Amino acid sequence: MFRLDPITRRQLQRFRSLKRGYCSFLVLCGLLLMSTFAELLVGSRALIVKYHGSYYFPTYTAFHPGTDFGEDYSYETNYRKLKERFATDAQGDWMLLPPVPYNPYENSFEEGVYPPTPPSFFQRHFLGTDTTGRDVLARLLYGFRIAMLFSLLFLVLVYVVGIAIGCAMGYFGGAFDLLMQRAIEIWSNIPFLYIVIIIASIVTPNFLLLLGIVVLFSWTDMTYYMRTAAYREKARDYVAAARVLGAGSGRIIFRHILPNVLSLTVTFMPFTVSGAITLLTALDFLGFGLPPPTPSWGELLEQGTSNLNAPWIVSSAFFALVIILSLVTFIGEAIREAFDPKKFTIYQ
Amino acid sequence: MKHLLPFSSECGRSVRTPHEPRRVRAPALQWLFLTVLALGLLSGCAKKETAVTRRDIGPEAEAYYKAHPDVFRFATPADLPKDLVWHDGSDVPEFSAPEAKRGGTEYSWILDFPRTLRFAGPDAAGSFRSFILDDNALSLTMKQPNTGQYYPGLAKAWAYASDGRTMYFKLDPDARYSDGVPVKADDYLFAFFFFRSRYIDDPWSNNFYTTYYTNVTKYDDYTISVSWREPIPDLDDKLGLTPVPEHFYKELGDDYVQRYQWKLEPTTGPYTVKPEDLHKGSYVDLTRVPNWWASDKPFYRHRYNFDRVHLQVIRDVDKAFEAFKRGDIDSFGLTLPKYWYDKLPDSDPLVQNGYIQKTVFYNQVPVPIYGFYLNTTIPLLNNRNVREGIAYASNFDLVDHQYFRGDFVRMQTGSDGYAEVPFPGIHPRPYSIDKALEHFAKAGFTKRGPDGILTDEKGQRLSFTVTTDDPSMRDVLTILRQEAAKAGLELNIEVLDETTADKKIAEKHHQIGFMAFGPAVEKYPRYWDFYDSANANKPQTNNITNTVDPEMDKLIAAYDKAQSMDEIRRLALQLEQHVYDNAAFIPAFKMPFYRVGYWRWIKWPKDFNVRFSNGAGQFGLDWIDEDAKKETLDARNSGQTFPPEIKVFDQWKLKGE
Repeated sequence: MFRLDPITRRQLQRFRSLKRGYCSFLVLCGLLLMSTFAELLVGSRALIVKYHGSYYFPTYTAFHPGTDFGEDYSYETNYRKLKERFATDAQGDWMLLPPVPYNPYENSFEEGVYPPTPPSFFQRHFLGTDTTGRDVLARLLYGFRIAMLFSLLFLVLVYVVGIAIGCAMGYFGGAFDLLMQRAIEIWSNIPFLYIVIIIASIVTPNFLLLLGIVVLFSWTDMTYYMRTAAYREKARDYVAAARVLGAGSGRIIFRHILPNVLSLTVTFMPFTVSGAITLLTALDFLGFGLPPPTPSWGELLEQGTSNLNAPWIVSSAFFALVIILSLVTFIGEAIREAFDPKKFTIYQ
Repeated sequence: MKHLLPFSSECGRSVRTPHEPRRVRAPALQWLFLTVLALGLLSGCAKKETAVTRRDIGPEAEAYYKAHPDVFRFATPADLPKDLVWHDGSDVPEFSAPEAKRGGTEYSWILDFPRTLRFAGPDAAGSFRSFILDDNALSLTMKQPNTGQYYPGLAKAWAYASDGRTMYFKLDPDARYSDGVPVKADDYLFAFFFFRSRYIDDPWSNNFYTTYYTNVTKYDDYTISVSWREPIPDLDDKLGLTPVPEHFYKELGDDYVQRYQWKLEPTTGPYTVKPEDLHKGSYVDLTRVPNWWASDKPFYRHRYNFDRVHLQVIRDVDKAFEAFKRGDIDSFGLTLPKYWYDKLPDSDPLVQNGYIQKTVFYNQVPVPIYGFYLNTTIPLLNNRNVREGIAYASNFDLVDHQYFRGDFVRMQTGSDGYAEVPFPGIHPRPYSIDKALEHFAKAGFTKRGPDGILTDEKGQRLSFTVTTDDPSMRDVLTILRQEAAKAGLELNIEVLDETTADKKIAEKHHQIGFMAFGPAVEKYPRYWDFYDSANANKPQTNNITNTVDPEMDKLIAAYDKAQSMDEIRRLALQLEQHVYDNAAFIPAFKMPFYRVGYWRWIKWPKDFNVRFSNGAGQFGLDWIDEDAKKETLDARNSGQTFPPEIKVFDQWKLKGE
């Protein structure tokens, strides 16, 4: 790991002093942490069950068939029903359910009530249910987790590929640069959305496949910036010095040039993340994203827009999307301001 | 001509000219833009008229008749059998409303602009066909949609030969095409030439007209006979052909597909499309043929009452619904619970103020065969215990009851809705976790893994992929998946686009296909297509379960040769029992009715509609009351209201529906 230079450290300090962006950053981190442990907040499995004197913690273990707790079925225990039974039996057994006792896949149907059902505090469907009776809040939270995982992995992959190729182009220059530029121009002119849609309609993509396809067509943008930056840095004295000392190309690119151009990439990151979230949502909305029943915001939006008489679906998804994208954008603005070279560049 | 919801309107269109069973699906949102793209290309192509080479197909047709003397026979009236009993349908009751008023324009909608106006060749089986052919053109005889008897169409009298496979027809000399040319016997000879010809690029028709029809004979300009290859009980349905006007296809040739892409064949029916009424991508207007020849004839009077039918292209069902609520569209199919209960509930001001009226009509028609089609050649699925287990683990009852609000009922067999072929005692396997587990255990799946899915001794998971081409079934599948998991069965959902899914299933690469076949609108179900071993393990056949059962083959052979309805009923029952025992088809759901909402200026007969109707507009029984329209529009502005009308017509409701 390379050490941060004083300029970068000052930039980070400045970022911390920009209240709106920094708060957004903290909130987003909080949400990420929350979604990482989503099962503890939203899920159908109990957190703790005390049954016949022993304690069970079903959240992260293999499933417990109903027979484990004296029910007469061999499939996964319905903890909500079990809790009711514990209460009526009054034999000292108890359990602690998550605040929202539904997982994002289960359909809770009730006799005479047809989904989608409006938000209900009593039922613990705080944001109501969708058209098949699944909890909207659960689908939002788990959908958020998947979207964030998707966009962060997307970020890492796109940057690794884009930076490596971009730097190599800038550093080596010449025929390699010329050929790669032409190749990238051609590649980036392929209508990416159509390709995704065509592939997705032939094979149902899973998470990794979808990520792969999207990355395959998204790494090119980064190369332009990195190429320019590497081109500029290459001419600096410290690069010449490193070369004189006998450093190889890989070492010069990754140990010497990269830390000096990193600030450029940092400013792009939040926008890449928001772009990835939007893209995944759009694909899911059109039905070309992750296969059902994966929880997803796009799918919720799609359901919501075709069921405007159930406004809680569309408004939940809409506000969630607006809030997350705003947070990411605020962070992005703050980073851009903090890393603004006009403030820190020292011309020599 | 109500265009009902795609879901319901495509559920078996009324088809007189026999055609291939089609898979039924709802339109996919995602295809809209591709369609737009395709339309753009098509309209671009259409503008480039190629240089016209004068051509006359006549001599070629004549030569073809001569080359096939066994099929095309020329005789004289003296050759007609002497003992023929001629029927003219005079004992058949009419079914239209005498109080119907002629005139006015009906405003309706279509989801997609038609891809062609041809009746044969690529894309000709699109849903627009019902407007210009299936529900429009007349055939030799027509079936009375309440009683199932036959009444005159283009033939004014008909007779049955003693061989049980030939019918004689006396053509109505009044019959005219929309361009004024009389319909003559030659057009029937030409129909055979046309449908057997390679020009039309239509392998299904080529095969059908070559394999099943053995002879067409012209006695004079207005007398013909047609023969089927063997005696069958529903000869009228099979031999009631529509003519093909030879004068229109003079230039038939290799460029048929392009040349006739946007040229509408002159019709014998009430509505035609004038070239200037075809606004590509935007709307199509149907115009009532001026002085239509059958206008005042029995069975046709008081029907097809609109002078004009405006079909606006609206590419989104929900948008079309909003247009309906504004009054831009006269009627709308409300069959899906979403529309009937949520979007236009009885409490809606438009309904309560009496502006829009709602009707439920129970019909009796063969239903689309919705269900799980299990590929019996895939490992594990080749084990009958696994298949039975899957049947017990598929909770269609919950879907019908909770998702479709009990409006849909469980399909009992793969051949429901044939009024004359009942299947007493055959019911689908109910959802039962215990029974499913019992059958899975027999197949060696006894242990549940950490996620609750069963595994066998080798650690193989009980997991299958369900492939569907219908995005609107996604919700249904997620419910089934959750319920199946309780029985230790994992169902992965694969929603592919239509073409890909159809190809995957037709080439038998699927594990479980979830789809529907459009039913053959005939007197009795078909089995050869779906269950004969001749069609198993072969791509592009309808035996998508790959069923191979020598006993069924024998029964099917007998069934296809059966000559009486009693025999057909007996054999069909045995066949259906085999289908049940085999457990490769798991029946899903059906709708025993259709529901429709309409503005109060649209009027209907007092029984609303007919027993064998697929949709409210199919038989052209409704009409517009212009005074009521003015009154309603004024009332809407002034706030005046009318008593609400929500009606149920259950005179054709069957027990248990």
